[in-house]
Amino acid sequence: MSRTSYSATSSAPLSVWDAINPVRMLGELSETRYWMYVLLLPSALLITAVVLYPTLYGMQMSFREMRLNRPDLGTDWVGSKHYARMLADPIFWVSLRNTAVWATSSIVLEFVIGLIAALALNRNLPGTKMLAVVILLPYFLPNVVAGHMWALMLDPRLGVINDVLVRLGWLDSYKAWFADPATAMAAAIVVETWHSFPFFTLLIMAGLKSIPSDLYKAADIDGAGPLAQLRLITLPMLKTIIAAAVILRVIGLVNSPDLLLILTSGGPGRSTQVLSLYAFQMAYKDFNFGYAGALSVVMFVLLMGFAYIYIRLAKVNQD
Amino acid sequence: MAPLSIQGVRKSFGSVEVLNNIDIELEDGGFLVLLGPSGCGKSTLLAIVAGLEPSSGGDVVIGDRNVNNVHPKDRNIAMVFQSYALYPTMSVKRNIGFGLEMRKVPEAEREAGVRKAAKLLQIEHLLERKPGQLSGGQRQRVAMGRAIVRDPDLFLFDEPLSNLDAKLRVEMRTEIKRLHDRLGTTTVYVTHDQIEAMTLGTKVAVMKNGVIQQFADPQTIYERPANMFVAGFIGTPTMNFLEGTLEQAEGGLVLRHAGGSLGLGGIEQEVGSFVRKPVVAGIRPETFTAAAGSASTLSGKVDVVEPTGPDTMVILDVGGQMMTARLGSRDRPRLGDPMTLGIDMRAVNLFDPQSGNRI
Repeated sequence: MSRTSYSATSSAPLSVWDAINPVRMLGELSETRYWMYVLLLPSALLITAVVLYPTLYGMQMSFREMRLNRPDLGTDWVGSKHYARMLADPIFWVSLRNTAVWATSSIVLEFVIGLIAALALNRNLPGTKMLAVVILLPYFLPNVVAGHMWALMLDPRLGVINDVLVRLGWLDSYKAWFADPATAMAAAIVVETWHSFPFFTLLIMAGLKSIPSDLYKAADIDGAGPLAQLRLITLPMLKTIIAAAVILRVIGLVNSPDLLLILTSGGPGRSTQVLSLYAFQMAYKDFNFGYAGALSVVMFVLLMGFAYIYIRLAKVNQD
Repeated sequence: MAPLSIQGVRKSFGSVEVLNNIDIELEDGGFLVLLGPSGCGKSTLLAIVAGLEPSSGGDVVIGDRNVNNVHPKDRNIAMVFQSYALYPTMSVKRNIGFGLEMRKVPEAEREAGVRKAAKLLQIEHLLERKPGQLSGGQRQRVAMGRAIVRDPDLFLFDEPLSNLDAKLRVEMRTEIKRLHDRLGTTTVYVTHDQIEAMTLGTKVAVMKNGVIQQFADPQTIYERPANMFVAGFIGTPTMNFLEGTLEQAEGGLVLRHAGGSLGLGGIEQEVGSFVRKPVVAGIRPETFTAAAGSASTLSGKVDVVEPTGPDTMVILDVGGQMMTARLGSRDRPRLGDPMTLGIDMRAVNLFDPQSGNRI
């Protein structure tokens, strides 16, 4: 019935207004397969404006001279000058090494602590809901707030952590954690881990919920102990989620200088200087946008390479 | 292989009692089916036997060993789950051999065991695949392979066929029966499907609300149900219940009902004490015969006729009570016609409507 009446309307002659009515034209477009592109258009434009254009602009900047405090040098094309300088720049190599230490140590600690917390919270014992909120709290704090909070707690004169450690007898006197090249990086990693391990907890908890409990019952009968169950069932089943979480965290750790900027500004000396911080300082302290652009491009390429190799190694696409 | 003894097992979650004093003795090599509607406690009982769920009281004895405080892995049992519970990230081969791997069985021996089980279940060609690449029936076989490879004392099946389509279910049922005949392993099998219970079990325990209603061999359960619940649960179409009053007439005892009276000559029950009291006659559809020459007959009006191919189901309105009769495929009474059916009274059971129990 309805079909007949539909074809009756659509075959009726169009009035002039109907032919130019934009709402009607949009309605007709929505019936075609081009509608998908129309719907994607706003986000595509937005991404082009705020992601694609700046990225490409930054890349071309890395091949130009662009020092805001030396306008006399102009903004000419300098080819691979910045990249050549980078190879000979000892600070670049220190930053690269520090970035690797910073990202790797933080990821490992965050993953291990996050996994343990997720496994514990997944037990559904009384109080776990409340504990889950408490454990996730640090992640809700902005990096800046977390950074200042820890800077205060680790303060060499009035830091509560120094006080506790001295009272426990583990330290002889208050220690300036961020002023000693031997402890600055480690202390920063502790702060970073504290702040971001809930990210792993959150994602792993979601993953754990999707593992059928029958698998663990079957494993119990098959004789697999808790460690074997973790190694042979839980972790393989969480593989995709863990891979995604690691990639996201690595990108975050390599790209964001904020925590280190607040805690150490890369010091003492260059002991906590990482690539993102170096690029940031190069741009906004030295106003050398050309070299900062080149540093960013290198970070970009390193991250792309890491993500590619990691996904291949984790075999996420299998099964 | 070992006998299984369940002695006074209880289970409660808080104040809710899900299993009430369960006693079951299963002989070595026996096939016990726990049968009942959802929520009757059958799966909980199986989990207690497996050791996956602690009981609130009572004993589980496998062989001559009380296993109350024994971990599932040390009970020497194997279990097939409704969801199959195959490890998705492992190959079929590793799935089947996983129990042996965990028990540190040498690789060569493990390999031989897996091959043997795979051959028995005709899944040798699937060994390198992952469970995700298998059909439902193939997964079912792998789950069974994982169970038999360890040669356990006891097989536990938790509704293993309910995720399969009807045709495959029948095939796999036969397969399980053949496997049990060949291996002779003592088996406990949970199902809500009465056909599976009847065809597979050497013993059937019909459960309701955590209580065993009847524990007997399938034949007895079918022919002499202990109460109206068991009578109604087993058999398709279900048993007819004819309500009436027991009376002493000239020719012997009769059941006076709304549509007349039914002579009870030939009934195999001692019912003298129920004279002048209400009783319910349980009559299976196939005990009716279209030939009215029998001593006991029921008359009524034909309400529905359902030809099924081999049989014709006739629903007869007997004084307001609907009786389903399974008649021959050639019997095609007309709707609304009066009809008289004969009954083989030896197969009829009388129940006390007050308690629901067989008199």
